[in-house]
Amino acid sequence: MEGFVRFFENTGFANVTPGHLLMILVGLLFIFLAIRYEYKPLLLVPIGFGILIGNTPFVEHAGLHLGIYEDGSVMNYLYMGVLKGIFPPLIFLGIGALTDFSPLISNPKLMLLGGAAQLGIFLTYIGAISLGFTNPEAASIGIIGGADGPTAIFLSSKLAPHLIGPIAIAAYSYMALLPVIQTPIMRLLTTKKERRIKMKPPRSVSKMEKILFPVVALLLTGFIAPGSLPLLGMLFFGNLLKESMVTQRLAETARNTMIDIVTIVLGLTIGASTQATTFLTQQSMHIFVLGATAFMFSTAGGVLFAKIMNLFLSTENKINPLIGAAGVSAVPDSALVVQMEGLKADPENHLIMHAMAPNVAGVIGSAVAAGIMMSFLL
Amino acid sequence: MTTIVHLLPIDLSAIGHEHLTLAVIGYSVVFLSLFLLFLVFSVLPNFLARNLRKKFQKESGEKKTALAVTTIPGEVGAAIATAIALYLEELHDEESAILTIKKVGKSYSPWNSKIYNVINFNRFQR
Repeated sequence: MEGFVRFFENTGFANVTPGHLLMILVGLLFIFLAIRYEYKPLLLVPIGFGILIGNTPFVEHAGLHLGIYEDGSVMNYLYMGVLKGIFPPLIFLGIGALTDFSPLISNPKLMLLGGAAQLGIFLTYIGAISLGFTNPEAASIGIIGGADGPTAIFLSSKLAPHLIGPIAIAAYSYMALLPVIQTPIMRLLTTKKERRIKMKPPRSVSKMEKILFPVVALLLTGFIAPGSLPLLGMLFFGNLLKESMVTQRLAETARNTMIDIVTIVLGLTIGASTQATTFLTQQSMHIFVLGATAFMFSTAGGVLFAKIMNLFLSTENKINPLIGAAGVSAVPDSALVVQMEGLKADPENHLIMHAMAPNVAGVIGSAVAAGIMMSFLL
Repeated sequence: MTTIVHLLPIDLSAIGHEHLTLAVIGYSVVFLSLFLLFLVFSVLPNFLARNLRKKFQKESGEKKTALAVTTIPGEVGAAIATAIALYLEELHDEESAILTIKKVGKSYSPWNSKIYNVINFNRFQR
């Protein structure tokens, strides 16, 4: 009987708390959204399942080495890739090998939109300070406004490792909810006439320009913000593998197999890091609120800056201000939101190619912002 | 309203000069780095085009006479293209005589055996 009692005490039924059940429901919701509505399935399925793994109750710190926060557990070893900031640069390598920078090179002025849309990062940083977060914590929360999961994980692993779970969950959840967050702001800040602006088709880009871009961009951004080197170094390296055309095997591996493996482990461990006992705190709730406002401010920053640019541009070179919203990274989701919104205003106006330019510039902008935060606060 | 204030205890006095400085400098540096990229890639295509033009001019100077001879009128080009297309279409009849039929061997399994077929009427008749 005593053995049975001991066994029962070790089961999940004896250790379950309302928090565990709530988080299990969240995990199930993620999996449901991913499978039923195909919302970011490649991220939400691993994260959702990770939440289930992380919130299956057990006796913590009893020498079983099960939990992600217990030294020596398998999940803890995998989580090291997140904590030490190893996975985000590897993801960036894959993104670089996937990304075509041609729209950006053909119309370089759109790079500025990628900078403007980082407004949310810095406003949210100030907001987080006013909510009582410390300087490094506030910077890690602010970077959610960059709408770039790997960058958010990378910066928080360096500045506030104890907040990685909520920050990553907020960043990825809001990326899945981009259409809901961005569309009202885009409509609020633009007139129907502005949404109908047709932009000049982008010019073709030579191979030489495509090869020069990753090299020049790395040196420029690296000299300005060396803190962004782990991310931007890998991003531009991956892009050079793609554009040089002589390392197709490496580019193929980086953009397929490698990014898939890292995404699986990253998603699963991020999900498992939401263990109810450490995740469900008031701080986490504040992070979710701040994350949403960060996305809103970033969207507004991009759209408003596009409108300001239009004041100085000739009629034939005018920018459709909707593409400013794509300046928040979230490649390619925010560009797709812009395309959808543009089509609603004019069914013949396809903005996707134009929107990809600020979209990829946003990736560079948010990584530079992370580098600057690191230089200031580390 | 009280509930929101309780849930989000905003304290504006916590925002110091150093925080504002970081925000302003950070945002400006992000802008600056992308602005520099913009400048470089606004100039670069012109620079590359000028180099290319120089190269062409140099080549055209050396081979001016040769080019004059080798310049082919459009009609001649069209005729050559038609001839090539016709020739390539004719090639259709030239097949390599290699047979690609391969013997497909099926390993024996009682699951696909005709002996145990469920509609093996002959066995029932016996």
